[in-house]
Amino acid sequence: MIEIEHLTRRYGSTVVVDDVSLRVEEGAIAVVVGTSGAGKSTLLRMINRLVEPSAGRVLIDGQDTRTVPEDELRHRIGYVIQGYGLFPHRTVAENIATVPRLLGWGSKRIAARVNELLDLFQLDPAEFARKFPHQLSGGQQQRVGVARALAARPALLLMDEPFGALDAVIRAKAQEDLLAIQRRLGTTIVLVTHDMNEAFQLGDRIAVMDQARLLQYATPTELLTRPAEDFVERLVGTVERPFRLLSLTGVQAALEPGGAEGEPIALSDNLQNALSQLVWSGRESLPVADPNGVIVGRISVGGILAHGRPPA
Amino acid sequence: MSAFSILTRGLALFMLAVFIFAPQLFAFAFEPLTANNAPAIYNQGSLLSLTLSHLRIVVGATLASTVVAVALGIFVTRPAGLDFLPLSRSLVNVGQTFPPIAVLAIAVPLVGFGEKPTFIALFLYGLLPIFENTLSGLTQVSPLTLEAAKGMGMSPRQRLFQIELPLALPVILTGIRLSVIISLGTATIGSTVAAKGLGEVIIAGLQSNNVAFILQGGLVVALLAVLIHDGLSVAERAVARRLGRPADETT
Ligand SMILES: Nc1ncnc2c1ncn2[C@@H]1O[C@H](COP(=O)(O)OP(=O)(O)O)[C@@H](O)[C@H]1O
Ligand SMILES: [Mg+2]
Repeated sequence: MIEIEHLTRRYGSTVVVDDVSLRVEEGAIAVVVGTSGAGKSTLLRMINRLVEPSAGRVLIDGQDTRTVPEDELRHRIGYVIQGYGLFPHRTVAENIATVPRLLGWGSKRIAARVNELLDLFQLDPAEFARKFPHQLSGGQQQRVGVARALAARPALLLMDEPFGALDAVIRAKAQEDLLAIQRRLGTTIVLVTHDMNEAFQLGDRIAVMDQARLLQYATPTELLTRPAEDFVERLVGTVERPFRLLSLTGVQAALEPGGAEGEPIALSDNLQNALSQLVWSGRESLPVADPNGVIVGRISVGGILAHGRPPA
Repeated sequence: MSAFSILTRGLALFMLAVFIFAPQLFAFAFEPLTANNAPAIYNQGSLLSLTLSHLRIVVGATLASTVVAVALGIFVTRPAGLDFLPLSRSLVNVGQTFPPIAVLAIAVPLVGFGEKPTFIALFLYGLLPIFENTLSGLTQVSPLTLEAAKGMGMSPRQRLFQIELPLALPVILTGIRLSVIISLGTATIGSTVAAKGLGEVIIAGLQSNNVAFILQGGLVVALLAVLIHDGLSVAERAVARRLGRPADETT
């Protein structure tokens, strides 16, 4: 768990991060979103003390980060930046081994960990371990960057626009993979982005920053239904708002008894996808199937739409 | 390197070795250049020992320049040394604009005749290329790479030795190569202040008006320069490759 308390950073007389407090629960993903220059990166970099706070403090699992030597602190916190900063003179395996090596792990343990991570990120060790970063595609470099950050099993991962350099198709896949890996490892993540879609896709909670201030820190649904300020309302997008809300709601919520004609929708899907299938198939309702393929009910356009607006 | 260029380099090395060890074998080629029955081949000392002294002083001076220039380059790119960057740049530049013959003229009264003044001149002369290349090598390391290294908890020392220096190495080696080549030629001037070296052969030729001597001294120095240049270039490319980059990126 991370507790950020009244964190402030000034450069001269400009305040770059202004009295920000927030808390990230164990195993949760907090996304910090805001326009360029809002102070997101500075906030993130104060967590691993790449930037020293002017005021306020950061607690990790209750421990004040100022009481830990900074290099030791950083060994315990994974860090991924836009562009990744892979070491060009080191192979993929050596890059991933960076922190374990700094920690003095034995070579057998390091090799085993590297292979494990390569497998986890769907990079065949036989093919990739000895390659150099310049021989990798953008998507592969990104995966190596995250694998390197996770090498010493940090409980906390900081990511600064980690998908910013990827094109749309690869980015969507990388986001899905990150979610899957995060759910599996239970790593707490603080991720910075300026991409609202990314924030809604990944965030358990979203922190909206503007001009050094934290405007709102809430679940995606709250952000949509109860925006704290006009700026938040504009940032989440008044046009996309209903659809974002639907994408955050599972099919279960609008499940109705009875049956319907057509290709069934999975119970695990979200309402936005369900609506999309309804519109495309030209039907008023479709059957819903559980993971075993058993029809458990149906879903209708009217039922879905009721979930696309804040509760009265 | 193509088979052809390896062959020509090998041949040049072989010819040079034969010439240094047994110069008399080539007397026939230099005879047409002499007049009045003057000797065709340098006869006032062993070419082999002159070549060795020549190389020794060049290697010694370059090593000294390398140690000082690399240390200086590292120092002025650390936070504590940044203030000295402009000063050290101008100091080293002065070393370069000073003609070597003037350095000799100043050094002789201070340290006497012989190898010392030559060593000083070569040392000062060798500093600039190595210093400049150390600087550019260290400063061209991507800020992203350094940010990542710092973010993963590498200490300043670990960043220097594990990231910055290895990445700067090919560029630093280029500086050392330039320095060696300049010194090889400049060292011939050392013979005017009685340092043993291939300059003796050229000076003997000038004094006795013997073109054959001048040519012999010049040829040996030139061949040494070409071969050493090639050898070091190969080493640079090998390092660059080991750093995981195609060689063309570092030249
Ligand atoms: N070292 C620094 N010195 C002065 N100003 C800085 C420094 N680092 C960041 N800033 C300023 O702080 C503001 C916020 O920067 P940053 O945290 O990088 O924003 P974001 O990541 O949200 O785009 C910017 O206006 C930037 O110019
Ligand atoms: Mg930023």
